[in-house]
Amino acid sequence: MGKLKPQPTVSEETAAEISAIFSSDRPWVVIVWDDPINLMTYVTYVFITVFGFTKEKATELMLQVHNEGKALVAKGAREEMERYVQRLHEYGLWATIAREDQI
Amino acid sequence: MTPTEGFHRHGTDTYIANFSETEREVLVNLVQQVIEILAERHDHAHDDPLAAMVGITTHDSPPDDEVLLRLLPNAYQDGVDAAEFRRYTEATLRDKKRAHAMSIRMLLLSASDGDVALDFENAQAWLGGLNDVRLALGVRLKVDQNSHEELELLAPDDPMRAVYAVYTWLGWLQETLVEALMDEATS
Repeated sequence: MGKLKPQPTVSEETAAEISAIFSSDRPWVVIVWDDPINLMTYVTYVFITVFGFTKEKATELMLQVHNEGKALVAKGAREEMERYVQRLHEYGLWATIAREDQI
Repeated sequence: MTPTEGFHRHGTDTYIANFSETEREVLVNLVQQVIEILAERHDHAHDDPLAAMVGITTHDSPPDDEVLLRLLPNAYQDGVDAAEFRRYTEATLRDKKRAHAMSIRMLLLSASDGDVALDFENAQAWLGGLNDVRLALGVRLKVDQNSHEELELLAPDDPMRAVYAVYTWLGWLQETLVEALMDEATS
């Protein structure tokens, strides 16, 4: 047996981060805007369902939307952000996509 | 019949509620109106069968009607990007919203003794469908300009007073369903 070769361990998160470095599509974000109609608990639930956030994280983002008028809820490739916005619109949330450097 | 107590979780994947005859009539009527307003946006020039097949619409400008614009909002603040996105996705979004409203309508019309039982998928349809009704009523009530206090003080003969009562009832009903679902989402 020779020496053990170092094995890079690549978690799913690291892999996503690496592929994002090579992707020209990186800098897109989803913004959710405050609106007076959607209920706070409903917005929290939609964040949990669409993004798989914990209840704590979803609540924090919902409060940011409520208090600051908007919150950035996702970041990544453009196509992925468009799919998220489509789902948020199905639930009736007011969401838009933007280039990260243009917000 | 007694007024509904809202949704409760029943077992692992069922959400139940009982509605009075009046409540059912009100709800069916409201979702029917959502179905109709969405139909107004239907592609009149859906002549290209290939485009229709892949869900491309002829619409690339936002709806003029405020309610339709809130149901089918722009996905980009930039007009060109918004138009492009709308052309490829609006038909799908409209179909989804129609399906949500239809789910509510069908389950209410077929409810014996007013009992409604939703599985997870139907519960998602109801959440979205109830929300669309709230969005439509909220836009007409101008809840962005009028505070809840102002809306509470509408004159008894103001037709908007009854609309506001329905709007708050729908919010309460939706909240009972969210809470029943949250039990599961976090346990």
